Amino acid sequence: MNEELILQHGLTLDEFQVIRKYLNRDLSIEELGIFSAMWNEHCCYKTSKKWLKKLPTDNEIVIQGPGENAGVIDLQDNDGIAFKIESHNHPSYIEPFNGSATGVGGILRDIFTMGARPIATLDSIRFGLIETEKTKYLLNGVVHGIGHYGNCIGIPNIGGECEFESTYDFNNLVNAMAVGHVQKDKIFYSKPKTIGGLIVYIGSKTGKDGIHGASMASDVFSEEDEDEKRPSVQVGDPFMEKLLMEGCLELMSSGLIESMQDMGAAGITSSSVEMASKGNVGVYINLDKVPLRQPLSAYEILLSESQERMLAVIDKKNDHKVREVLQKWQIDYEVIGEITDTKRVVFESNNKKVVNLPVEIIVDDAPEYDREFYIPRKRKNKHFDFSKIKLEDMINNLLTNLNYLDKSWVFDQYDSTVMGDTIREPGQSSGIVKIHGTQKVIGASTDCNALYIRINPYEGMKHTVAESYRNLIACNLNPLAITNNLNFASPLDPNIMGELVLSINGLKTAAIKFNTPIVSGNVSLYNQTNEIPIKPTPVIGMVGSNMNLNKINTNKFCEIGNKILILGKQLTKNCSPYLLQDQKIALNICEFNDLEVLDLDFEKKIANCVLELSDLKCIMSCNDISRGGIFSSLLKMQYRDMGFNVKVSDPIDLFCEYSAGYVIEIRSKDLEEVTSFLTKKGVEYIEIGEIIKEGIEINSKKFDYFDIMNKYRNNFEKIIS
Amino acid sequence: MSFKSAVITFPGSNCDRDALCYLKDLTKGEVHNIWHEETSLPKVDLVILPGGFSFGDYLRSGAMASKSKIIDEVVKHANDNRYLLGICNGFQILTEIGLLEGALIRNKKLKFLGKNCFIKKKFKNNFNFSIKDNQILQIPVAHNEGNFYCDTETLNLLKNNEQIAFEYCKGEFSNNEENINGSIEAIAGITNKKKNVLGMMPHPERAYSDFHQSQDGRLIIESLIS
Repeated sequence: MNEELILQHGLTLDEFQVIRKYLNRDLSIEELGIFSAMWNEHCCYKTSKKWLKKLPTDNEIVIQGPGENAGVIDLQDNDGIAFKIESHNHPSYIEPFNGSATGVGGILRDIFTMGARPIATLDSIRFGLIETEKTKYLLNGVVHGIGHYGNCIGIPNIGGECEFESTYDFNNLVNAMAVGHVQKDKIFYSKPKTIGGLIVYIGSKTGKDGIHGASMASDVFSEEDEDEKRPSVQVGDPFMEKLLMEGCLELMSSGLIESMQDMGAAGITSSSVEMASKGNVGVYINLDKVPLRQPLSAYEILLSESQERMLAVIDKKNDHKVREVLQKWQIDYEVIGEITDTKRVVFESNNKKVVNLPVEIIVDDAPEYDREFYIPRKRKNKHFDFSKIKLEDMINNLLTNLNYLDKSWVFDQYDSTVMGDTIREPGQSSGIVKIHGTQKVIGASTDCNALYIRINPYEGMKHTVAESYRNLIACNLNPLAITNNLNFASPLDPNIMGELVLSINGLKTAAIKFNTPIVSGNVSLYNQTNEIPIKPTPVIGMVGSNMNLNKINTNKFCEIGNKILILGKQLTKNCSPYLLQDQKIALNICEFNDLEVLDLDFEKKIANCVLELSDLKCIMSCNDISRGGIFSSLLKMQYRDMGFNVKVSDPIDLFCEYSAGYVIEIRSKDLEEVTSFLTKKGVEYIEIGEIIKEGIEINSKKFDYFDIMNKYRNNFEKIIS
Repeated sequence: MSFKSAVITFPGSNCDRDALCYLKDLTKGEVHNIWHEETSLPKVDLVILPGGFSFGDYLRSGAMASKSKIIDEVVKHANDNRYLLGICNGFQILTEIGLLEGALIRNKKLKFLGKNCFIKKKFKNNFNFSIKDNQILQIPVAHNEGNFYCDTETLNLLKNNEQIAFEYCKGEFSNNEENINGSIEAIAGITNKKKNVLGMMPHPERAYSDFHQSQDGRLIIESLIS
């Protein structure tokens, strides 16, 4: 086989030699396609596997950890929660609308493949600076795509994050998360059980879209690639997905199928190989039986990433009944093969075996690399000059920075209340939905502090996990488990590899301390265009619960006259990275001081106080403190024209970041009970002020409430238009 | 006499379950779920055409659903002087069937709009009977095509016959708009001439339970039952 062809398929010559030696024969072009699809980063985690193995993935509530379509945790009684996050970065840069829409479609299929009904989606989207030519186009397309898919299928979008930073100028990020509810005794797995079981194809016909999508997702980009790679972006049809979801859930609840696998990245190849590998069996598939949209070669069928397709295994006797259910939902259905005992993957086309490979070589022998990595150098201690900074300018800097503004422009394009169980909508610290027919609620938050992680990958990742944790705690939710989406540039650069390794270590430390195992996830590497790498962006999605929906805290002010208390420990102003960056004090990444070590025990201690006080009904509203400090948290809490009057020794303190930071609203009559509770626990607090009507006052200086709120609410749309 | 009702499900409906819960919880009576291919409808007091993207909203919102088999029965039900409520996509279907006047076109900003909106009643009918004059209701909307449009002649008819049931309005506080989607005269819901058929863009079935942000959606069912 010629070298160029091998390299075009994303395999190294060494990797090819391993295969060649094992098989002791030449490969067919279809077989080369299979290795191309299965041995890339996206499918086999060859760079990250060594490190991912170190993550905690199990505890008493984990029903299913990583390795299935989604992780599942126990929510007591017969309720389970399935959830996962996945990236669609490269497709969304090439074709933002379809790229992001199919990202949502893919993650929803991962959820209902487990037998779970999706009940919420979240997303984490990152773009370059708005001044960059393409950003507005990408932002519009991505938000439209996410909204279009989720709104049409009818799953509420309950939150997420949307940030802008020059590092994403030519490589925006789109990570979509979905959460589903499943009856614990009705979880479906991808492992087939019976030899001779029929392999059936369910869903949209196969077309040319997305051929080589998975290997594209594992590649470095140059700008000229854009047009050339556009055909690799899949096109989504949310109406078809809605039918597919209802059809599949009906089949699963009536016990008509044995196992199921979504045809996602690397299409029929990946789903059938994984099926065989999990069941330790073989698969035989006749490609001539695959429903096609247009004439395709065997090679194209194997690598197509057409959307809204499922592969399932059924008992022969159920063939007729399955067909009937799917006919009602107007979904294509075809028997295309069967489970064999050969432990081989066999694809036939035109009476010829075009692929005949042992499962072992594709899956177990997939490469695993221990790549070289560097540990970042120690940072010097630098003192910054804050003397020239004025309070008005600091406020103004926040109100002209997209990252701090009210993002209703984004969230309003998403349906957040469909399904009728939404308790907290997007734009608050966590989105929350009720488990239908119960009093239980599940909340989720997605977060990443890329700047922190660039400064110190290990501590930065701890801060990121802690921020998600606080987002849940602020709502009185018990943090339960994590899904992660590790977005990095090329791991072939030992500096980037170092960030990957150290941030995974940080994730591990924090997850163990919080007892929030990682149950699912995704890795997206090579996020760089024109050799400009993105900042390390390992996004985490954390879920938490409360068994009683009446105990949930709001993040919004409740009543004029109530007191405002601050819990937690302020990061010093010389060590508050976002303060330094966003107030334009430090301009170069080299200038920042090292991050303060995050004391996870302290995080837990303060969190427990917030939970206890919430259960005592002493907290009227609560918000965590993150980027933008206390001021930004207070701004987010404004509601029904209620503002705040606060006093602090140094106004800059209002903009510093925190560890274990919370703003809590307390009724005057509860103040003594709360403060004596905190004192007894040995927890420090600051009473900084109170809630007032239509006003913002800082150290007796009055600001125009409506002017600030108008800017906060409307500047986002102004800046991006 | 207990209040009986039914919800029609089309392929792509996604608020059918919400509407069923809404009816079950508030009417305490018999509630049926009817698949669009059925050719008969039980004798009920109220039929809801729910929200969603029936048939993917391909062609035009509500256009394909208006040709479903069950629609003949829905029309008979309405001609029988019984209540018919179309919410969101259901409203679009009712205009496509021709049971209601006008059309729903793209929102003025050409973007999907999913947020709380404020409405008040315009002319009294059996659907808004329990709502006080000038009472502001907070109810979520979620639509792409909710911008109500009709020609001047039709508009005059709608006014003269007092067919405008709800209009968008400003809420009590500073952060909301008066006419969120650009509808002509801020129309949020209209009835037919006999006032037994109502179409509205806001979703009352998402604003009735204790844990919802508002319970104002109850008032519609309470009006019908009282």
